[in-house]
Amino acid sequence: MDNFFKRHSARLKTTALLLMLVIPFLLHAAALHNSIFQVKLLLALMIGNMLYVMIWG
Amino acid sequence: MFDMPIDMDQIGPTNIYWLACVLIHILVDYMTDLFIVKWILAFSPILTVLVLMIFKNWSGSRAGAAGWFVSLITATLFFGAHPALLAYSQMKGALLSLNVLYIIWAALLLYNVVNETGAIKVIGIGIQRFSGDKSIQIIIFGWIFASFLQGVAGYGVPIAVVAPLLVGLGFSPVVAVAVPAIGHSWSVTFGSMGASFQALMAVSGLESSYLAPWSAGLLGISAFLCGIFAVYVYGGWKMVKHSLIAILIVGSAMAGSQYALAVSGMWTLGGFGASLVGLGCGLAVAKLKIYNQTSPSQARLEMGLWWALSAYLILITLVSSGVMIPSVKAFLGQVNLTVRFPEIVSLKGWVTKAGEGKGINLFGHGGALLLYSSVISFFVYRSKGFYKPRALTAILQKTVKSGVPTSLGIVSMVCFAMIMDHCQMIYILAEGISRIFGSLYPLISPWIGLLGAFMTGSNTNSNVVFGVLQQETAQMAGLSTALILAAQTTGGALGSMIAPAKILVGCSTVGLSGQEGPVLKTTLRYGLVITAIIGIITLLASLFG
Repeated sequence: MDNFFKRHSARLKTTALLLMLVIPFLLHAAALHNSIFQVKLLLALMIGNMLYVMIWG
Repeated sequence: MFDMPIDMDQIGPTNIYWLACVLIHILVDYMTDLFIVKWILAFSPILTVLVLMIFKNWSGSRAGAAGWFVSLITATLFFGAHPALLAYSQMKGALLSLNVLYIIWAALLLYNVVNETGAIKVIGIGIQRFSGDKSIQIIIFGWIFASFLQGVAGYGVPIAVVAPLLVGLGFSPVVAVAVPAIGHSWSVTFGSMGASFQALMAVSGLESSYLAPWSAGLLGISAFLCGIFAVYVYGGWKMVKHSLIAILIVGSAMAGSQYALAVSGMWTLGGFGASLVGLGCGLAVAKLKIYNQTSPSQARLEMGLWWALSAYLILITLVSSGVMIPSVKAFLGQVNLTVRFPEIVSLKGWVTKAGEGKGINLFGHGGALLLYSSVISFFVYRSKGFYKPRALTAILQKTVKSGVPTSLGIVSMVCFAMIMDHCQMIYILAEGISRIFGSLYPLISPWIGLLGAFMTGSNTNSNVVFGVLQQETAQMAGLSTALILAAQTTGGALGSMIAPAKILVGCSTVGLSGQEGPVLKTTLRYGLVITAIIGIITLLASLFG
């Protein structure tokens, strides 16, 4: 798994950056519609993304 | 929930578990009611970033993500964050980040457009031919030119543009980033057409005629200190002594012109006008005999110096027109993207008012002006045959390679700052500082501004977040509001040199991505010293002014 993350580091980092910028827009839309489930789901996605950046970023 | 009946004669494992839960809950409630515990918890995300970057040499992106986690956990457990609050705060963070990233990516593109021709090396040799004196090179590029760029553009452009130029002049990458970071920070408040000063006036409701004299005064003193420490970073006190005449002449010219412009109502031109006057003085001072004792470089130039500089001349022309000519500014500013936010209340009752997030002026933004400059410069260089085949691919690849890690760090840091802001954590930090220092509050007021800029990477945001707090504290303590708000904005301006978001920008342009720690360590040291001096001056002014 570590090898996979290292081998595809450049693409994964670019994807992580895009997700970091896109997820907040989805979070905002979900929060405006009072959809707590979607907000929690997207926050979980954001946490996973940040976890990737913290370990392999 | 604390009234749960427990029969002490029949204590079993379940009851012990409940008892432990209740005790822990009471303990946590009691502890978090203690202000000092609250303050330490609020400070924990910042401490995490500082420790990881400075002592563990983590990259800005990794440390920023770690800080984000710490802020998320502390905000949720102790400061009443809830899913909707987190959602809105992240959206505000994304909008703020996009504003910064627009500049960074465009600045990186411009740098690679220029560097691919070999022009950076040529500029370095050209300046060495003009003046071989390293202290003069630091003063002209790292102090005056960086301040000029802050005056016309801001948002990290000075560091992003000057750092690679200094590397081209033979300075080490750490010095090349640290020098413009220190050198430009005095001009942040009145730079970018006075955006930060405008924010200070807006939140305080006070007139420029009341705020400008003290603000320009403290920032003027900072100008000298920034010049001195920019030179000191490279050559120590020996070089400061050698360049003292130049620092005094240029510093007086810049501080004086900024003061004159600010108090006469032309504060929008304070940073720009002052650095323009400074540039003229700097070039004149470079001709003095004491600064012409080192033989200028005789190296052969591979292209004409003016051609090498053409990209920056295009940049200056476009930015000056885009910012200073009202018709051009209005034409470019027609598309402004923004998002409206509702009122957000944390579970602890902290209210963030409804309003619009940070808008993006799509075609008139500093990043857009840099982008136009990059495109025009590319075609100019290509028409003269300065590029090798497949240069465009190389330019884009290099831009993406250094832009991604930098952007990851910036987004994560801005997003955790927004979580802190929406959960009262930043306010608690500032309140704690003011409580501890009591009557010595003027000593500490610039530190609050510095904290805000460190967290958000922006003097403007620092003034928005802490302006009212500083104003109210000053009124309660019977201090001059103008003086305390001047200290706030001066601290906020100085915070630019230590803001990780800006350090990341500079590091990305000199190949130091992922190694921001040593630069931060350098700028932090001098940033804290200059802020401490400004704090002492503020205290003395409050006592005797």
